[in-house]
Amino acid sequence: MDVLANFSAGLATVLQPETLMYCFIGVFLGTFIGVLPGVGSMAAIAMILPLSFYLEPTVAIVMIAGVYYGAEYGGSIASILMNIPGTPSSSITCIDGYPMARQGRAGVALFVTSIASFGGGMIGMIVMAVLSPSLARLALQFGPAEYFAVIFLGLIAASAVSNGGALRGIAMVVAGLMLSTVGIDLTTGDLRFTLGVPELRDGVHLVIVAMGLFGVGELITSIRANREGRGRQEIDYAKFYPSAREWRASWGPIWRGGLIGSFFGALPGTGQTVASAVGYAVEKKVSKNKDQFGKGAVEGVAVPESANNSATQTAFIPTLTLGVPGSASMAMVIGALMIHGITPGPRILTEHTELFWGLVASFLVGNVLLLILNIPLIGLWVRLLQIPYRLMYPAIIVLICIGVYSLNNNVFDIWMTLLFGVAGYLMRLYRFEPAPLLIGFVLGPMMEEQLRRALLLSRGDPMVFLERPISGGLLAISALILIYGLWVTLRPRRNITTDDTSIIQNNKPSSNTGASS
Amino acid sequence: MTFDLTRRALLALTSAAVLTLPAGHALAEPGAWSDEPVRIVVTFPPGGTSDLVARLLAKHLDEAFGQKAVVDNRPGAAGTVAADFVADQDADGTTLMIANNAPFTIAPTQFAELPYAPMTDFSHLAYIGASAPGLFVKPDSGISTVAEFVDAAKAGSISYGSSGVGSISHILGEAVDAKLEVDTLHIPYQGSAPAIQDFRAGVLDTFYDMVAQNSEMIEDGEAVAIAIAASARFPGVPDVPTFKEQGYDIVIENWVGLTGPAGIPAETAAKIHETTLAVLALPEVATTLNELGITHQPLSTPEFTEFVGTQIDVWKPLITAAGVKGK
Repeated sequence: MDVLANFSAGLATVLQPETLMYCFIGVFLGTFIGVLPGVGSMAAIAMILPLSFYLEPTVAIVMIAGVYYGAEYGGSIASILMNIPGTPSSSITCIDGYPMARQGRAGVALFVTSIASFGGGMIGMIVMAVLSPSLARLALQFGPAEYFAVIFLGLIAASAVSNGGALRGIAMVVAGLMLSTVGIDLTTGDLRFTLGVPELRDGVHLVIVAMGLFGVGELITSIRANREGRGRQEIDYAKFYPSAREWRASWGPIWRGGLIGSFFGALPGTGQTVASAVGYAVEKKVSKNKDQFGKGAVEGVAVPESANNSATQTAFIPTLTLGVPGSASMAMVIGALMIHGITPGPRILTEHTELFWGLVASFLVGNVLLLILNIPLIGLWVRLLQIPYRLMYPAIIVLICIGVYSLNNNVFDIWMTLLFGVAGYLMRLYRFEPAPLLIGFVLGPMMEEQLRRALLLSRGDPMVFLERPISGGLLAISALILIYGLWVTLRPRRNITTDDTSIIQNNKPSSNTGASS
Repeated sequence: MTFDLTRRALLALTSAAVLTLPAGHALAEPGAWSDEPVRIVVTFPPGGTSDLVARLLAKHLDEAFGQKAVVDNRPGAAGTVAADFVADQDADGTTLMIANNAPFTIAPTQFAELPYAPMTDFSHLAYIGASAPGLFVKPDSGISTVAEFVDAAKAGSISYGSSGVGSISHILGEAVDAKLEVDTLHIPYQGSAPAIQDFRAGVLDTFYDMVAQNSEMIEDGEAVAIAIAASARFPGVPDVPTFKEQGYDIVIENWVGLTGPAGIPAETAAKIHETTLAVLALPEVATTLNELGITHQPLSTPEFTEFVGTQIDVWKPLITAAGVKGK
């Protein structure tokens, strides 16, 4: 009852014309910036942050939150249409979203994305409204050992999303982990693997890896495959709506993704990426449609989108109630509140009730606005695919270069992106999935940090991971998944080879089945 | 170089001519010093104290004095990327930076080679203020003074969380270890928030962080600040005693100031100095600084420059003791 009363008070705040307008500005701007390759929610929030200083705190946080989840949503659009994930979590969406686009089902994929994001967002919102205090307490149960175990589970899940079997997935995750060790060692401050290059001191930037492996890598692959140029895609507006079968197939994944996402979102830092990877891995196991995953399964789009959007909402729980930002974007949210004299922490629920509930209610309003904004825009987005490659590719390359350059205003980063582009092309050639590498790269530093911290605190005793019930349980689940995955991969050798060739045929961009259908 | 000198000479001449016109004070009046928007470079990504100070300054420079200013975040390599950038800009007052410990006090000792000279490549224009970290313990730890902390640390192994290797909280932790002759276990975090979370969750015994920013935790009885490493008690948390009061000479303050490239013409520098001090004196700004835990003192430009110089020497042994060296 209390929750409902608070929520309706929050809704009343958000529905005031001024708040509503800034909420709209937030989601609108977020979506458009999120679509641009290499520019994610962080850049979007950094752009809008100065404006927020002139607004009421509640209005400001509603707008910034709108930019945040708007950009996450926009990132999925680029993942589906161009195979360029705006955020690490939407790299999972690439796995099935991009094949769908190539099959001429971009409209359906975007439609499902909108619905799944909305569904996930709503689940996340309800969880945040009802469970904020208890989820905040849960996060406090998580010490270094538990975080290590959660991240480990996320990495195992990420290796399971790969289509070439568990071994290929694990290889990619490990490659990502190794890449993430470049730069300053967080525990000692020593430089590692920087090869004397000052630009590598802070490590390789996530955007460089993502844009290189996915964006540039994809472009090189497509140029090779489409030398003759692409046949124009006919736009059939009736085809934007998912078929009855696709609707049915999306329903379950949206629920499961939303619930998985809300849980992981509440853990600072690991949130969206672990959520979409675990969601996808779970779905791949429970779905009746297993063999279609990676080849354009609608479930494979619904689940990560629902999971990462619900995690996006619940990520505000640790940020606001514990003052622990999980990401750079969330750190900026805290900065925005502090300039208004509001210190995020346990007191925010009681001292800034209006702000907290206004924000919760704005998730409903903002997600509805996103839906209203984006369903009509699907036609426009899909039409982007009609632009001939000779015009679109140079434009994407320019956008990637601008995005990468703007990170540190450094040309070195552009060369690095090219290097990763070539690596991404080679990986495609040898049928390695880039998504697990990216996830390993993102979670690697966090996992290392928690591992070393746990060992420091236990004075070097590794049993700490098994003795604590939560971390022991999570590690046991990870071990089971790992053993099962390896068993399936290694045992029926003949099946694997045939399976592999079918994947090559379906994944090979040159098969061009999409364009003609 | 020659060009630079002639230009500076020219500017000096013209300014001398201008200065003779208004009689009376040779001191500059607060006001806009450039028609162009001034870029205020910040050494950290958006959201931290330096960033908040820069944005506060930018907002009020425009509102009170019509001086447009934009904040430019150039994070990386412990602030040295930003400092190197600023050192190379035109010395006309259009590029300034929020100077702080990282590139000016710590980096000169921490890095074997720096692409800039912290004193001669810069005009240190205006001191903004300083905040100090302190030592936090659990309320049920039975520790309420530094002396009791020493006893506890000698009796058993005590862990402490810091905001990262080479951060001010780490350096304070090492300074405490050295001065108090104890051996505590350092657990570095990325920023203070995750360290405080682990402290709350019972993972850490103690942590070091800015005292004023944790006043809520102190009020709520979740943590006890047994000492602050400031030269005097901070007005926002008057109940927290200093290390000095308790007989331990440990003063480690996090300062922020406004700095530009070397060679800013004297009258522009004076104008920037006066305008910045006028902004800092605005009641709204003073309140926000107080909330951020920053104590402001109106130092003159030479005083501030001398302060930056002495800080390097004050910190040198501490940084070396903390083992953050040689990169």
